[in-house]
Order: sequence, then structure tokens, then C-alpha cells
Amino acid sequence: MLQLLEGIPTQCVAKQDKVSTGRAWSVFLAPAQIVKTARKLYEAEYSLEDVFALDIEEGFLVLYHFNRWNVDERVVLRVLISKDNPTIPSIASIFDGAEWHERETRDFHGVNFEGNPNLVPLLMCVEDVDFHPLLKTDKKRKQIKDLLNLGEVVSCNKEIEALFAEAEAEVASDA
Amino acid sequence: MSAYQNLEQMKGDFYTQKFEAGKQDGTLIINMGPQHPSTHGVLRIVIEVDGEYIVRSEPVLGYLHRMHEKMGETQTWGGFIPNMGRVDYGHPMAWNWAYVGAVEKLMGIEVPERAEYLRVIMTELNRLTSHLLWWGAYILDLGAFTPIMYAFDDREMLLDILQRPSASRLTYSNFRVGGVQMDLDDKCLELIRTFIPHFRERLPMYHDLVTENLILRRRIEGVGIIDEDMCQRYGCTGPVLRGAGVAYDVRKDEPYSIYDRFDFEIPTQDSACSAGRYHVRVAEMEQSLRIIEQALEQLPSAEGKHIMDKAPKPSMKPPAGEAYFAVEGGRGKIGVYVVSDGSKVPYRVKLRAPGFSNMNAFAEAAKGTILADAVAILGSLDLIIPELDR
Repeated sequence: MLQLLEGIPTQCVAKQDKVSTGRAWSVFLAPAQIVKTARKLYEAEYSLEDVFALDIEEGFLVLYHFNRWNVDERVVLRVLISKDNPTIPSIASIFDGAEWHERETRDFHGVNFEGNPNLVPLLMCVEDVDFHPLLKTDKKRKQIKDLLNLGEVVSCNKEIEALFAEAEAEVASDA
Repeated sequence: MSAYQNLEQMKGDFYTQKFEAGKQDGTLIINMGPQHPSTHGVLRIVIEVDGEYIVRSEPVLGYLHRMHEKMGETQTWGGFIPNMGRVDYGHPMAWNWAYVGAVEKLMGIEVPERAEYLRVIMTELNRLTSHLLWWGAYILDLGAFTPIMYAFDDREMLLDILQRPSASRLTYSNFRVGGVQMDLDDKCLELIRTFIPHFRERLPMYHDLVTENLILRRRIEGVGIIDEDMCQRYGCTGPVLRGAGVAYDVRKDEPYSIYDRFDFEIPTQDSACSAGRYHVRVAEMEQSLRIIEQALEQLPSAEGKHIMDKAPKPSMKPPAGEAYFAVEGGRGKIGVYVVSDGSKVPYRVKLRAPGFSNMNAFAEAAKGTILADAVAILGSLDLIIPELDR
């Protein structure tokens, strides 16, 4: 996996506990890197499982799950985008199956996938094009550190570390 | 131009109008569905045909959309289990399993050995009902009425078996976090034991009646090619992928529960066409029987009860975190991803439906085939519309 990511500027690469999370790797990426990474994964015979978003206080966390057929090494790519401009490049040109997943994510969260060939409502009706059912209310929305674990970090930049920093400090103080 | 074409209501809806924008000269645009019988639910496909040949097509989903993922965010962890029986009426046990498996991962729960065996037996029996439903309905789509009567005859026996531990005949939701709701009683075990040899006897008749039938073979052989590369690009799994020659099965390649204890094969076909997918599913039924047989043999020595002691209540509070759990359903890889914020209600439930990805490949597979082939391809994907739309 690390070999595969060579040459791609990642924000954070971490190993995950397979038993408790069901995944092997977690990779934070900047929106601009997602297409390049998807192409590398395609060349390494990964197949797309799903694309969806999480509504958190920091913005939208768009998640991509990939896995290979004969080696069980599930990878999750995470791209954090802001609420003001929820735009992210589409990977439908590499994984055709992403087209529908991206349309579904647009329906549910209002994330705009730039370059998707057919970004019209898929599951929601056309009349409700601006209604996004999975958006959280302010009261229910949580911060990323309250929801996710970073895992066993291999490399990580400061911005992502800062997102999780407080949670780790709290754990340390509890101990 | 006839007078009709000026009428507002003759223009078609948003999707038809958008599809019409790329229309070639001399072609015709037709809507297959949302009420077409071969779509088995409310699936609509807008198709552009040149004579009888499909130039391009676009599936329009959402007619059966119920927003299960939102329902997941509004009810308790345990309260969401009945939804799992309704996502996919073909193979609800596998969906039950995917969801409770994800929650168990989150909570770090180990299920008693006996419960694992019960889950395997029930899920495999349910896989048989799923494949029988597909088999009968597929042949019905292709114009033969009788086979579905035989398939439902056998399926009826399975439903009688499955209703004993689950108290329902179609939308099962008897899995619980920590085990299953009820144990299999003696009568039920006896029924399963008599069903296995009975069904083994029936399978050759299925082949004699249908598989070798020349009309069927002409309809499905070489039709609707979905090869390995397409599967990778679209994320197709299950019999579609195995029909393209890849021996991928979550039960073997991402082993969960106790599937590593059973001796069974992953049937594959290299033809990548509708016939390949047909043969894979029929061969899988025999493998499911093998798994059930072995599970029944090992069941008496399994430790524990059908559910763990002090199993979590429906209002459980899993610790904050995330978990992804995948199982092999009748149609392919079912994945459930859950995020918890430590409260009684899930923060996010994402359902990965195998049919959704399989259907995505339809437009490319159907290009250049004739309209009647579209029905053969749709059926070979084994579509369950509630699962596509969720």
C-alpha cells in the first residue's frame, strides 16, 4: 500500500485494526489528489466498493472504499471538503461504477462531484433537487474526533493531526 | 409533425427529455418500465433503439426508494434490524448478518459458536430461496411458465423451514446483536435433513427441464458480456463476477464467522455472459447444500447458546467509532458501514448493495444487443429493486 501511494502527496496514512474496523488502511487526501490515487488503485487491481459522505462539523468527509479480489486489504480514502464549497473531482472516468455512487452522494448530502458525466438525481426525485435528507441538524452534528479513530499512524501532516489532537489529549488525561 | 407532438404531456419527464438530447436520426426512444414485468419491481430503463438494436440505455432508479440510511439515523441500533429484512426480500438473512456483524465489530462482541452455526444454516437456506426465486422468475421472463412452479414448490418447503425460527416467511429480521432470536427446534432440524436429499434429487430435473434447453441456450449464451475489467470498473460482485471467471467470494476471500470450517467450492464460469451467470447460480445451490450438511453435522458439538448471555438491548450504546462488515449475499458483496458517536442512535449507516453496482454495468453490457436481449441481461443480473433503491 505504501509503495502504491509513492509520489502522491497524502495528508495522513494510517493502518487500521482489521478486527474492529474491517479495514486495513486509511488514507486522508486533498481533493486534488483523489483522481490520481484512484488511477493508481485501478492499476493495482483494486475495485470500488462504495462512495459516500459523512456530515461532520469540519465539513463533509467523503469516503471511498476499495478492495482487491484476491487479497483482502480494504482501503478507505477520506477527503475532507468544506461546507461552503462542497466540490470534489469525480473518479467516474476511472471507475465507471463511481458515477452512481457519486450521484447518490449528491442526492443525500449535496456534495458536488466535478466531472461526473451525469450529475442528476438518482434516488431522490427531480423536484427535490436541493433537498438533502442526510444533512444533520447543528445539534446532532459531531466533530470528527468524536467519531473516528486515526489508527496506527504511518505519516501524518499537522492539519489532520490537529483534528484528532484533542481527543487523544483527553484519553491521555483520563489515563 | 403530428398534433400530438405539440402537447405538453407528450414531451416526457425530466429523464426522457434529457435522454432525448443525444438522440440520433431515425432512432426511437422507449421507456422499459417502471411497470415492465421483467423488471420485477419498479425499475425504469430509457432505451434508444435503432430498429431492434439498442443504441444506448439509461436506467432510472428511485421508484422504490425508502431512505433506509436516514431511518438508520433516527432509530435505535436494535430498532434498525427489521429494516434489514426489507432492503432485499430475496436474501434478507445476509443483510441482517451484515448489519449485526458491523455493530458487533464496533462493540467488540464475540458471538457464541452455536449462534454462528445457526446463522450459517439460516443464511444458506435463505440463499437457496433467493436463487430459486431468481431461477423461476428468470425463466419466466424468457417466456417459459412452468419452471417457476417447480422452483416455488421447493422454495415453499424452505419457507416452511425458515418460518419456524424467524416467525416470518419473507422479510426475516431474526438476527440480534450477539446471536439470533430463536434456536432451531428439533422439528426444524428434521425438516432441513429431509429437504437436502429431496432437493439433491430435484436438481438434475431442473437441468433436464431448463439448463440444456436449446431455446434457453440460444437466448442467453454470449448475451450481455460483463468481463473481468468491467466488473472491476463497476464494482460488480457475486455471481456476475464469478460468471466472468474470477473466483471471488467474500465467504472465502474475506472469511467471516465460521465459513473457514466448511469444505465448499466457488463455482466460476469463463464465458462472462448471461449463461455463465446462470450456471454459476445453479452450481451455487449445490454448494449451499454442502455447507448446510456440514453445519448440521457440527452443530451438536458447538458451544454456547443461540444468543450470548446478557446480549445488548435494542437501546445499546456502542462506543464511538466506525466499522465496516461485508458478507456474501445472493447477489454479491453486501457491505454495511456504521459510525457511532456513543449514543443510542447510529450516527451514520451506509448500505452497500451488490445489485446497485451490478445494475450499473447494464447500460454498457446492453449496448448493441437487441431489445429482447435486454430482458435476458436484466434477469441474469438477479435484480431485487428494493435493494437497488434502498
